[in-house]
Amino acid sequence: METIFQFIAVLAILAGTFFSAVGVIGYYRFPDVYSRMNTTGKVGLFGSVLLLIAAALLTPLGWGKATALILFLMLMNPVTTHALASAAYRLGIPMHKPIRDDLAQAADIPPENGD
Amino acid sequence: MDAILTFVLYFALLIHILLAAASIWKVWRGDNIIDRMIGAELTSTFALSVMVIIAIVTDRSIYIDVALGIAALGFISTIALSKYAADEQIF
Repeated sequence: METIFQFIAVLAILAGTFFSAVGVIGYYRFPDVYSRMNTTGKVGLFGSVLLLIAAALLTPLGWGKATALILFLMLMNPVTTHALASAAYRLGIPMHKPIRDDLAQAADIPPENGD
Repeated sequence: MDAILTFVLYFALLIHILLAAASIWKVWRGDNIIDRMIGAELTSTFALSVMVIIAIVTDRSIYIDVALGIAALGFISTIALSKYAADEQIF
């Protein structure tokens, strides 16, 4: 049973390192902010969560804390990515070869919200 | 299996430290403010990953608590910085 846990943990660590490396390579290679945010979102979810799965399997007392941190990361990462994308759109940072812009004619985004 | 696990852990630790250094470089030389903020968020995520790997290496679960603190601080600071960058005020 211990050997099975270690085998799964080795696979999870290798997959998490692969996703983190691919995320940073895409962060350097993609042309604009919006497509860079596509890959850096993968680092927060796949890289960290796969490492935490390995930690939950290998540390005997830490599986509860690792599971809580997995749930927190899965709640946290889309919120930060959407906040950064919304801030980039409100600042008027240009897109690279845009096909269409749904936010421009659909809903008026106020420059400052009223609250 | 223990030797393979130890090798993979130290390899992943090295890779994550190099990726964190690459993210800090993009905080210094980014294209615009949102690009630099993505770099700062990535740096905090890699600090979390390094803490998780250290927790596996040393077999102590207290480092997962440190990772939880880093995750909470990164979340709050990214939300506050993006709100400040978009609206030029936090509240």
